Amino acid sequence: MLKMTHLSKVYRTEVVETYALRDFNIDVKEGEFVAVTGPSGSGKTTFLTIAGLLETFTGGEYHLDGIEVSQLNDNARSKIRNEKIGFIFQAFNLIPDLNVFDNVEVPLRYRGMKAPERKERIMGALDRVGLASRAKHYPAELSGGQQQRVAIARALAGSPRLLLADEPTGNLDTQMARGVLELLEEIHREGATIVMVTHDPELAARAQRNVHIIDGQVVDLAEDPRFHTAYTAAAGQIRS
Amino acid sequence: MMQIRPILAALRHHKAGTLLIALQIALTLAIVCNALFIIHQRLTHLSQPTGIDEDSLLIVQNQWAGRPAPAEVPSLLAADLDTLRKIPGVTNAYPSNTFPLSNGGIAYGIGHSPDKLKFTSDTAIYFTDENTLPTLGLKLVAGRNFRADEIGEAAGLDKIAPAVIIITHELADRLFPDGSAVGKMAYISNQPSIIIGVVERLQTPYVDSAMAQWSACSTLVPFRHLVDSTAYVVRVQPGQMADVASHVRAALYAANRMRVISAKDGVQTFAQVRATAYASDRGMAILMGAISVVLLAITAAGIVGLTSFWVGQRRKQIGVRRALGATQHDILSYFLTENLLIGFAGVVIGGVLALGLNLWLMNQFEVERLEPGYVIAGVIALLLLGQGAVLAPALRASHVPPVEATRSV
Repeated sequence: MLKMTHLSKVYRTEVVETYALRDFNIDVKEGEFVAVTGPSGSGKTTFLTIAGLLETFTGGEYHLDGIEVSQLNDNARSKIRNEKIGFIFQAFNLIPDLNVFDNVEVPLRYRGMKAPERKERIMGALDRVGLASRAKHYPAELSGGQQQRVAIARALAGSPRLLLADEPTGNLDTQMARGVLELLEEIHREGATIVMVTHDPELAARAQRNVHIIDGQVVDLAEDPRFHTAYTAAAGQIRS
Repeated sequence: MMQIRPILAALRHHKAGTLLIALQIALTLAIVCNALFIIHQRLTHLSQPTGIDEDSLLIVQNQWAGRPAPAEVPSLLAADLDTLRKIPGVTNAYPSNTFPLSNGGIAYGIGHSPDKLKFTSDTAIYFTDENTLPTLGLKLVAGRNFRADEIGEAAGLDKIAPAVIIITHELADRLFPDGSAVGKMAYISNQPSIIIGVVERLQTPYVDSAMAQWSACSTLVPFRHLVDSTAYVVRVQPGQMADVASHVRAALYAANRMRVISAKDGVQTFAQVRATAYASDRGMAILMGAISVVLLAITAAGIVGLTSFWVGQRRKQIGVRRALGATQHDILSYFLTENLLIGFAGVVIGGVLALGLNLWLMNQFEVERLEPGYVIAGVIALLLLGQGAVLAPALRASHVPPVEATRSV
């Protein structure tokens, strides 16, 4: 579903080159629920933005659903984002001027979908996240948890092949976070491929597989002697 | 176009800015439509042909000193005409009470009856002689010119009762719509005058729009006007105008010093006469044009300013839309459509305001009814202006990268 091979992302200024990702390799299979963890500045968000075709990369290869994306133009990348990827952002990123219904409708309009089909999908997605009755409400009238559920409905409405979540519970309290996480797990059980970036070990432990990024590279915490001790301690804490 | 409903929904959250721009568009449309209409009227007015050979004509306005008696004037006029005709480059000349575009002269009613209340048309009266037609370059379309023996003398305004007259084609049509006017009688006094000739066109001296309805209704009477001020209309050979204009004053003074020829406007080419006559029309057209340009520029600047502000304000939102699949074209189209919707609201209000303003102008001033074409043209121009003004900020918006969605504000 998502395969990056020797991928690199370099930010260049006149005096310095900064590698956000270096020789980055990852392979996410269809139907997997992968948590990507790592400390601040490790390259998690850069990975997610490249995975979601929000940004281009400097070198290497990236295949998304079998398509090599490095040569695609802006329109083609927009089309893939619209049809194959669903985004869930930490800050929800709902459009404040639009009500819940219109927010969920945004990606469907860009797909050129007919109004009756749009309506059916929107109400289906809102029903799925338990907010069908709030369709006419504006984001400011909803709690943080409800706003994130709307964002999930927006991501689900287009039936994406891949769901990318960037700290989806980062702005929520524990109870709301639990609810959102349960929803993501439910969506995964129904067959969705989910890649979730988080720095929360508890959240990461709920995923099927963990990928850890340090200094722009994927590392195996269990095998890398630099992190073995810390990893074992953290894993023990989570288990207890 | 598929974005109209959500754009309208979003605009409801930006009422103040939306209303401000819509009203600005409305007021601009209302004022610019009427201004352009007035400009068109003025330009039409000032581009009316006089019917005379303007490029070849020089006007000399002479005032006799010492108030000569009427009996002395014919010899003074004859001497001056002799002097004028001897100036190299002068081909002809005649004295008159007035000339086209002078804004002064005599106007009578002309009709089929001596009853002054039953006249058919107003008409300007030109005192002329047998040299008038060739001097002015008037085209005789029917009948004949005056003969030298038909030229009389008139010392006062109320004694004019010409036996023969020449009229313009426009006036002939009004007097005798069913046939030729030549040989027929018309009244400008209590005595009938026989129309002996019809000239194609000769504009009246008056440029005021109130007299525009009979601006081509002139009557030539065969008289020398025996008063102390005379306008000499002088025909000059091509290429000699500057030389003649610079010598004519000195030549007349050399012949007789008992006169005043104003240094300021005593000698004028007809081009100068035209420029003076229509100065207020031209000034009004320029003023209206300047107001229109300033208003359009302010409106365009307002649209650019507001859209730029909105683009800055919605940068994150644009990034989110891009992340959700909007192409650059979708974003461009969003802002163009948004502007078009505001523009539509503005031009609808503006169209009504334009007609209202025109009604007010019609009541208060001598303005004609606004032609619908001006409103339609104004609507199209304002909508195009809006689209042009919004293009740069909209293009900037379309270049907001999708990764903006992941950045914190």
